[in-house]
Amino acid sequence: MDTPGSEHIVSLEKFSIGHQQDQILLSDINLTVGSGEMVALIGRNGTGKSTLLKSMIGLLPFLGGACHLNGKLIARYDLPSRARLVSFVSSQISQLPSLTVGEMVALGRLPYTGWMGRMDQSDHALVDQALEEVQMASFAGRKLDMLSDGERQRAMIARAFAQDTRLMVLDEPTAFLDIPNTFDLIRLLSRFRDGGKSIVYSTHDLETAMQFADKMWVIHEGKIFEGAPEDLGLSGLFDDLFQSSGISYDQQSGRFLLKGPSQGSVRLEGKEDQAKAWTVSALYRLGYKVDSQGSIKISIQPSSAGYQWIVEKDGDNLSFSSLYKMARFLIQGN
Amino acid sequence: MYFMGLLLIILALIDLRLGSIRISLGEMLGQLWGREMLSDQQMIILTKFRLPRLATALLAGAALPVCGLQMQTLFRNPLAGPYVLGISSGASFGAALVVLGAGATGIAATWSLALAAWIGAGTVMLLLLFVSYRIKDVMTILILGIMFSSGLAAVISIMQYFSQASALKSFVIWSMGSLGNVTASQLSIMTWAISPVLLITLAYSKVLNGLMLGEEYAASMGIRIERTRIIIFATTSILAGTITAFCGPIGFIGIAVPHMSRFLFKRSDHRILMPATMLTGMVVMVFSDIVSQLPGTDRILPINAVTSLIGIPVVIWLVIMNRKAQAL
Repeated sequence: MDTPGSEHIVSLEKFSIGHQQDQILLSDINLTVGSGEMVALIGRNGTGKSTLLKSMIGLLPFLGGACHLNGKLIARYDLPSRARLVSFVSSQISQLPSLTVGEMVALGRLPYTGWMGRMDQSDHALVDQALEEVQMASFAGRKLDMLSDGERQRAMIARAFAQDTRLMVLDEPTAFLDIPNTFDLIRLLSRFRDGGKSIVYSTHDLETAMQFADKMWVIHEGKIFEGAPEDLGLSGLFDDLFQSSGISYDQQSGRFLLKGPSQGSVRLEGKEDQAKAWTVSALYRLGYKVDSQGSIKISIQPSSAGYQWIVEKDGDNLSFSSLYKMARFLIQGN
Repeated sequence: MYFMGLLLIILALIDLRLGSIRISLGEMLGQLWGREMLSDQQMIILTKFRLPRLATALLAGAALPVCGLQMQTLFRNPLAGPYVLGISSGASFGAALVVLGAGATGIAATWSLALAAWIGAGTVMLLLLFVSYRIKDVMTILILGIMFSSGLAAVISIMQYFSQASALKSFVIWSMGSLGNVTASQLSIMTWAISPVLLITLAYSKVLNGLMLGEEYAASMGIRIERTRIIIFATTSILAGTITAFCGPIGFIGIAVPHMSRFLFKRSDHRILMPATMLTGMVVMVFSDIVSQLPGTDRILPINAVTSLIGIPVVIWLVIMNRKAQAL
């Protein structure tokens, strides 16, 4: 170790952020991002996620403490050299210029080109590579306003990739995306991480983050917690996080549950297959726990039409051809 | 681009031919080759009137659209332009103070007119800058610009009401816009003020590209936002202020020409768009000058009326046809 924090691409010490001195959002922040790490920043709306990300990379002024980027104080960077170290993708762009995808991605080369912005062979190659990485090579000639939300976000990420930085910071990159697009996008980021980049992104999607992030930063009640997703789960932080919101984190299943009155427990029999997993899912949704002492017994059996569910409850013995019908029965039976 | 250049040369030659005294193309070219083709009277008309008029048209044609392009990119609003945002009105107000208030004449008046117009344009720009920091909504800024110009127009009309008849007359003529009333000393001020500023704006083309995604992205890509804003605001004030001071308020060239060149050149890269806009602006301005001289008659229309009639359809087309008005 030569200089303090040199193995970290980002290191925050006693860092504090906010809009003005009298409006401090978070203070005494001590966090690091390792080289080649993916960090997910979690927190409720208005807790300062965007402000933290932007302050950390110099897009907003910070209020106190120190921020080292790649072992050097952020204030020591001039803007072009900082732009060669960190790229940024914002949560939205309010107005789309009538650029093509290719032109927009090429903007990522701005920190490298001369005052006339001439791109050489290697610049063009990197732009092409960026488009390949996000699987949008065939979109290069398309105008930005013709893209779907998912495509546009991937194009914005391609621009950041073309900026060829060791650190990529993304503010809610999945905010407007559906579940498959969200998953694809985070997987894309994790591929960048595997390629050696450090990634920091903010999100509300805890489940995807838990599957991909090396580390999480969780903002809760004015403090920020750092750790592997599992460390934070083990510490019970997620229970606290959702306590007031009517959602609970089930340590056993690793799922988030809407807290409702418990309906009792169910003894479930059947092969360990998809049908069982989905049945568990349906029971959780209805507020039932699954254990071996349940007063209700449900067995799953293959049938000519797929599956059937046989429910033994209060001496009744009924068979259902779909989970929907079974669920209606369980709800009405109470 | 070559086609536009050729078109510009042809239009410029037509423009030089126009007027009550006949000067043929052959005579002009002959004179250029060093032969004594033109009479003294023709030479005076050419060098004292027609060439300065053409030069003024070229300067105004290059300068005003550059203001419009810079405003449209900075505010990320296709409807931004020096006229719409009230920058021309600010310059007019400065000019009105000099023409109606001080009644100064001579070289001092020339400089004070330019200076007053710069200050007027710059003040409106500063107000817009201040507002745009606080209000992100571009529509609001546009409406405020329109309010600024209406407010200034109201103040100017009050000043007109209380001013003397001779000053009033010269102000009204000024406000109609003219390319032909520029004196030699005014032309040299215009040239020295505008040419270097146009070069600066060309050098900032790359930075303008970076601004297309907004200031946050621009900063993340290494662009110094504060400095860029100051450069854009200063260059726009000088360009719009200078032209307005000496030619009067020339409407709709600033807003319409950048769109015309986007349409003609099919590019949004400012490194192409900036020179293309200058060239298109010069073509449109020289064309407007030709139209304003009503070929075949000896009457001259106010240039402001002609440019408005050319520019307004473009703006209407922009608003109606291009439903996605937010796309630059």
